[in-house]
Amino acid sequence: MTNHWSDMAHADVVMICGSNAVENHPIASRWIERAKANGAVVLSCDPRYTRTTAFADHYCKMRSGTDIAFVGGMINYALQNDRVNREYVRHYTNATFLVNPEYDFEAGLFAGYDAGKRAYDASKWAYELDEQGVPVRDMTMEHPRCVFQLLKKHFARYDMDTVCSITGAPREDYEKICDVFTSTWAPDRVATWLYAMGTTQHTHGTQNIRTYAILQLLLGNIGMAGGGVNALRGESNVQGSTDMALLFHILPGYLKVPAPPLQTLAAYLEKNTPKSNDPSSGNWWQNTPKYMVSLLKAWWGDHATKENDFCYNYLPKPSGDRSFISLFEAIYAGTIKGLLCFGQNPAVGGPNSNKEREALARLDWLVCVDLFETDTATFWKRPGVDPSKIQTEVFLLPAAASMEKQGSVVNSGRWAQWRYAAAKPPGDARSDAWIVTRLVQELKALYEAGGAFPEPIRHLTWDYHVDDHGEPDIQYVAAEISGYYMEGEQKGRQVLNFTKLADDGSTCSGCWIFCGSYADYADGKGPELNDGPHITEVRGRKTINRLAKRFKEDPAKVPEGRCRGLDPDWAWCWPLNRRIIYNRASVDHQGQPWSPHRWVIRWNPALADGKGAWEGDVPDGGWPPLNNPDGTPNPASRNPFLMRPEGVACLFATALTDGPFPEHYEPLESPVANLLSPQQFNPVIKVWEPDLIGDPREFPIVATTYRVCEHWQAGAMTRNASWLVELMPDVFVELSADLAQRKGIHTGDWVRVSTKRGTMRARALVTRRFEPFFVAGKLVDQIGIPWHWGYAGLATGDSANVLTPHVGDANTMIPEYKAFLCRVEKEEVV
Amino acid sequence: MAMNALLIDLPRCMGCRGCQVACKHEYKRAAEKTEFFAGPGYQNPRDLSKDTWCLVTYNEVLVNGRFEWVFGKRQCMHCQVPGCISACPVQALEKLPTGPVVYHKDKCIGCRYCMLACPFVVPRFEFDSWNPYITKCTMCAHRQARGEIPACAKACPTGAITFGERDAMVREAQQRIANNPNGYVHHIYGLHEAGGTCVLHISSVPFEKLGYITKKVPTSPMVAHTEPAMKGIPFVMFGLAAILGLGYHLRTRLERQPADGAGDRQ
Repeated sequence: MTNHWSDMAHADVVMICGSNAVENHPIASRWIERAKANGAVVLSCDPRYTRTTAFADHYCKMRSGTDIAFVGGMINYALQNDRVNREYVRHYTNATFLVNPEYDFEAGLFAGYDAGKRAYDASKWAYELDEQGVPVRDMTMEHPRCVFQLLKKHFARYDMDTVCSITGAPREDYEKICDVFTSTWAPDRVATWLYAMGTTQHTHGTQNIRTYAILQLLLGNIGMAGGGVNALRGESNVQGSTDMALLFHILPGYLKVPAPPLQTLAAYLEKNTPKSNDPSSGNWWQNTPKYMVSLLKAWWGDHATKENDFCYNYLPKPSGDRSFISLFEAIYAGTIKGLLCFGQNPAVGGPNSNKEREALARLDWLVCVDLFETDTATFWKRPGVDPSKIQTEVFLLPAAASMEKQGSVVNSGRWAQWRYAAAKPPGDARSDAWIVTRLVQELKALYEAGGAFPEPIRHLTWDYHVDDHGEPDIQYVAAEISGYYMEGEQKGRQVLNFTKLADDGSTCSGCWIFCGSYADYADGKGPELNDGPHITEVRGRKTINRLAKRFKEDPAKVPEGRCRGLDPDWAWCWPLNRRIIYNRASVDHQGQPWSPHRWVIRWNPALADGKGAWEGDVPDGGWPPLNNPDGTPNPASRNPFLMRPEGVACLFATALTDGPFPEHYEPLESPVANLLSPQQFNPVIKVWEPDLIGDPREFPIVATTYRVCEHWQAGAMTRNASWLVELMPDVFVELSADLAQRKGIHTGDWVRVSTKRGTMRARALVTRRFEPFFVAGKLVDQIGIPWHWGYAGLATGDSANVLTPHVGDANTMIPEYKAFLCRVEKEEVV
Repeated sequence: MAMNALLIDLPRCMGCRGCQVACKHEYKRAAEKTEFFAGPGYQNPRDLSKDTWCLVTYNEVLVNGRFEWVFGKRQCMHCQVPGCISACPVQALEKLPTGPVVYHKDKCIGCRYCMLACPFVVPRFEFDSWNPYITKCTMCAHRQARGEIPACAKACPTGAITFGERDAMVREAQQRIANNPNGYVHHIYGLHEAGGTCVLHISSVPFEKLGYITKKVPTSPMVAHTEPAMKGIPFVMFGLAAILGLGYHLRTRLERQPADGAGDRQ
């Protein structure tokens, strides 16, 4: 999230699209309720009427997989009706940048497409540069090649009729949504956008989010209290796991994974450190070398020296895609022989899960670490298989639940919050840290005796104060993630924040964005110096675990007009305890807020002995405002989007694989032809199983999968809790009364849902919450299935993921769980 | 001691059933064996039961032609003058001055009159037990005694369930309706129903559309209806005795008539 949970209360308009926030993040509704009490309007756009819709003021339905058309139409509405915060767009986005003449868009394809490779050459989308290598800008935004005009041209095709025809949205409802949402173009009105997996789990998921970003930038809603583009994470610590790089393409702190050609640290840094010749750009990623070297120092300590490239050669340099789907393809193909599965249940959660279950049988060994015997751990004795035919050796290690161990959880709003063990784990259950430590100790012992390339394991730093029971002190891990000095006068002292990290090996930090989250007591200030469990001792020093802070802000001390809920001494928020990122965009050139009655930061010239300083939230870049008080540009200032080399936000973005602007394509499986271009689906996605794509004549119904409030993820935790099983014991499929009537289906009947990949049984729930869509003049049915069920646990049922295809987003490879084609039949009672 | 009440603001409810699970957790009541759904929408179980004292209902309704999905909550209403108490022959039920209607199982004789007397059909009986008791929501009287709010109110994430002094809750309900006159029907369910209850509901749709019992519930306390009848019992008893006695007298008098008397008439 750019903002945070409690900040939703500041919004004038709350858009919930691509998420079922009220149902799947019930606590979010508390803050949405506060916004409503302050007069906010809540919008719900979804293929189905959900518990979120029940909470909303206006609802507009849309067919699954047509988000870009839907939001593209809203962008067009804003541009055509001049509902644009022009000052914001002119100065804080790349609307004024000229794009080189090679850029083009025709017949659904951008310039530079190579049909053979199914890939783009993004150099065709580059900015036009001047002699100094600085992008050329047209501040009038009238030049035909400036981003603003290109954007206008691109989205002019997304007119009201076309959009409603593609999405199946009723025109009257859609116009209402466009009108209410774009009303926040006024500087003093703000809208927030809440999304989740309804947005991301598409072959064009990343571009779906881009449409939100573009619209929010046009309206000037980024950086504002009550604004932003907010990803509601589907699990309490998904944000933390992403920050700590539980993904294949990043290292901790969003550093890039080294590619095979980058054999030296110098080559890696040259390739991955962005450069900017623009003096007004902060270009924060220019500090990449400091963060990378500090990370290597955290991992290999004194073994990492300048002479040996700080052990850079210890890092694996994977070639190509190592995402979830490709891992399972590799297991299926027999390339991967062993699998460690910590708290994950791919036999239920993975796409085309029949294939993934079969893949598990091709492993030599499988280790499941979980609270319960999951569907994955019991794949070898699932219904319909003969255990004697499966050779995989399966280990199940009982794990401690999150409430049974100490540690941190990072919520969607980037707050890292400390938890203490509330209960002892039952039986032999152990914390993940205990299990991993045991594994590391064993591997170290084995590699001491030799083996291929033993140094990365033998030299790995593991000084986490492991106690007699084998349990590491998790406070030491938190302190290392933050980072400390490794040499010099300050050796052992916690580093103040990431501006003090160095590329000479004198500092370590396990994840630079968390630097400063664990402080030396001597560097503490304010309420954190008070006694409490956040005061700790690590490596013999008195320290402050800022994640454990629990001091609420005194409302009486909040300056007049400032937004509430910043609470700087409640937990800790990356980066630098900044609660709302891009907050420098919430002020004008003089540093004065666009919205004075809920300002986030503002420049106060009276502070710092008359030199002036920011007050409020931690500013996103501490430089002074863009202009001096007399209105002249201040050369000491920097543009507000400091993580971009441009210094401004990108309406036109060259970093994605599938185009600089979002473009509507149909999902891989769709009942209709693309109305906007001959390009049916995203031209750069990898189609893993071309023979497993359903034909709409055989599978005419759109299906989507989702979660319910009563169950959690792949169900291991909730399908074993009897009170929750009582509420929702059986897998069900929701369908419209119209479709049910045509198929002779009644509520409670058993039905069969089939796709090209598989078939499942479920009970039918006929409801008015589902309605058919009119798409391109024809009736299109849509059904929905919650995917929590499997064959293990108290409540069993077929998994919806036996239906879903092995295909992912062009940028992130997240599977397309949200839109595919199926057939529904009533199961005849014999 | 002030009388407390729960205010259930249904437009704020999003049907998460945190209250329903929190209630089971607080009282360690067993999960019922359910299949698919037992009521409209996602409702489970079918009804209040010996193990389910709090139940969220799902209602797909049309309001002025507009489709809406709205949720309701069923539980003991904690009447101010409870019918169940007036029906109980052994004082196993008691109205606390703080609001809750609580149950003393050591006094209960298992007659189940309370079940018949409740206008909201709330008390349930452990029919499957060898030593059965009546069960129902207690408004978490034990938690209130510790200064805590009822478990359902504690669990509610949206503030759809709030707890406080009844007078304040009534004012709050009136205020919410006044602040958003188009968002609510202008009625506080429980303000006058059954003579007033300590659970108050406000809603965006008419209560009868949510399955609330509206027609059979009088606005005066149930006791006002049971009491005259109960008061009549002595008179009825004596009256009946007198009538039957008279009848007996007459019948036996006829029988006592000597046969010759009959002959007289002949």
